[in-house]
Amino acid sequence: MPQITETGKEFDVVKYFLQLLDKDKDMSYGIAAIRTLLMILEKKQFGTIHILHTTMREAVAAMRNTDLSIAAIVSAGELFCRFITLSLDDKHMEECRLIMINRGKIFLDKLDNSRQVIAKQAQRFISDGCRILTHSRSRVVLKALITASQNKKSFHVFVTQGGTGNSGEEMIRDLNAAGIDCTLILDSATGYVMESVDFVMVGAEAVVESGGIINRIGSYTMGLCAREMKKPFYVLAESFKFTRLYPLNQRDLPNEYKYSRKHLSDVSKVHPLVDYTPPVYITLLFTDLGILTPSAVSDELIKLYM
Amino acid sequence: MREQPLKEVTQLIHAIKVGLVEGSFGITNKTLDIFKYIIISKSWKNADALMQIVRAQCRILQAALPQETVTSNIARRILKLTREEFDLLHAKVQHFADDSQASLSLHKLVTQTSESNVSVDYSVPQQGLREALLDHLQEVETELETSSENICVQAEEHIHSSEIILTLGHSRSVENFLKRAIKKRQFLTIIVAECAPASRGHNLAASLAAEKNVEIIVIPDAAIFAMMSRVNKVIIGTHSVLANGGLRAACGAYTVALAAKHYSVPVIVLAPMYKLSPLHLCEQDAFNMVGCAEDVIPYDSIPAREAKVYSPMFDYVPPELVTLFISNTGGHAPSYVYRLLTELYHPEDLEI
Repeated sequence: MPQITETGKEFDVVKYFLQLLDKDKDMSYGIAAIRTLLMILEKKQFGTIHILHTTMREAVAAMRNTDLSIAAIVSAGELFCRFITLSLDDKHMEECRLIMINRGKIFLDKLDNSRQVIAKQAQRFISDGCRILTHSRSRVVLKALITASQNKKSFHVFVTQGGTGNSGEEMIRDLNAAGIDCTLILDSATGYVMESVDFVMVGAEAVVESGGIINRIGSYTMGLCAREMKKPFYVLAESFKFTRLYPLNQRDLPNEYKYSRKHLSDVSKVHPLVDYTPPVYITLLFTDLGILTPSAVSDELIKLYM
Repeated sequence: MREQPLKEVTQLIHAIKVGLVEGSFGITNKTLDIFKYIIISKSWKNADALMQIVRAQCRILQAALPQETVTSNIARRILKLTREEFDLLHAKVQHFADDSQASLSLHKLVTQTSESNVSVDYSVPQQGLREALLDHLQEVETELETSSENICVQAEEHIHSSEIILTLGHSRSVENFLKRAIKKRQFLTIIVAECAPASRGHNLAASLAAEKNVEIIVIPDAAIFAMMSRVNKVIIGTHSVLANGGLRAACGAYTVALAAKHYSVPVIVLAPMYKLSPLHLCEQDAFNMVGCAEDVIPYDSIPAREAKVYSPMFDYVPPELVTLFISNTGGHAPSYVYRLLTELYHPEDLEI
């Protein structure tokens, strides 16, 4: 049984993971994480289930250590570990491994397809001539909007800058490239444009057990505003983003979610990167499992982790 | 290629349009009869062919009567029944037994193998399918017949002596529900908003006034807010329940629900299972209908020459204004409707 040294393994995992993301800018962190884990499964031999589990856990820990937002990595990692547990049989270890690799491919295919499924579901909600507000850049929202535009619908999108970084501008560039009418607005103009939009459509970094979402900072503000002005607040999220976490308020969110790694030692002077939007502010969640009300999320999670 | 409607379907559409068949219950019953007829007599060879016929006839009904969602609901029930019976007979039970309601779930996403990934081939002829289907259709019929009674028996749990109840218009389930409550409880006061311009509330009031020991008050719709402060409970019927737990109910229901919210009065909605429809608000071009304007302003009156008159039939009531649904299977919160829907219909039949 070939053993891999601690350092060698870590090097492999993170490098492969980052390479994946580098190669395909549109790949979600969660998908990249699952791809990486599957790669480990394919490349290495495992003597026992225990070793397999520890290796996976270590790999997830290593990926969490990168400077990316960890929400999707955590949920995807957990989903993958559950996947391993559920596909175990009484068979020989090597046979089990082959079964897992085989099932993993099907699993990945489904996940790869999820954005398309979500975009399709959102189509009926995007009507001709409507005005949509979205927050920063979300790949699944972008996909849904582009699909709608390809379906010959004309609509206007307001995009917030999305705090630090230029993600809002990137979104605008992508929308313009697709020929969609759009306007970049300040985050602080959320309240101003809310009265003129028909609905809000945002992505999510993670969907938590309560049916609420964790997303780039400003989403909560948008949810509050939308609620006050009685506008529907739609969330588009792939099901691998469902996380077993039940935050009660903003402070209750784990620090690793809220701050980048380099600030974790002292968070008193930095502002958080994400916030938590409670389920009462969310009208519907569009997922590859269907259009769900927030209360349906916990049902899905219970079914899986029961 | 256009699908041809069956003679029975055309007759039903006609009967509904001219008002010979009225009310969700009547329409559901008649639709079920048609599907039963299709199952018995039509020369379908396999489950796939049957499902295609059901879908085609359902689409015709839908196109002709876009506001009557119950017809598609019952078609979805039949489709799900067909799938289940087919799977059962085909001995494919092992994959679906514990998870029959959802072809999509996180759990399934993780556990599926290539084998279960292949969809079932419904075009294989199956012995005994017709008999099994008719057997189960009997169950659906019984459920339909007893649904009103099953809702009524819960009246005692929700209505207590000396309470003041407000209702709107005339729903048959509400009528039976209140009658049961009047028999069991004393000193009830029932306020009926008339629901102009059809003023069907008058009929309800007349019907309830025949009972003993109850005070009936009829109010104009404009007085709903004024009366709400003294009301203990609002009990209304609905035309259909949407996927998010919202209502498509008689025009005026939103007024009632908002007034009830303002005074924190619980809103109870009586909705038998066949009214649960897996649709969302957005996709409904035919959400509302306009009724006859003559009832609002007579055609020969002077203002009728100048004024535009609309008389919409329905209101959308958002789920957060509903406290409780009472169906034939018990009480459910609006947030639970999605769950009932996954149990009731197959996800692939949501779009017919």
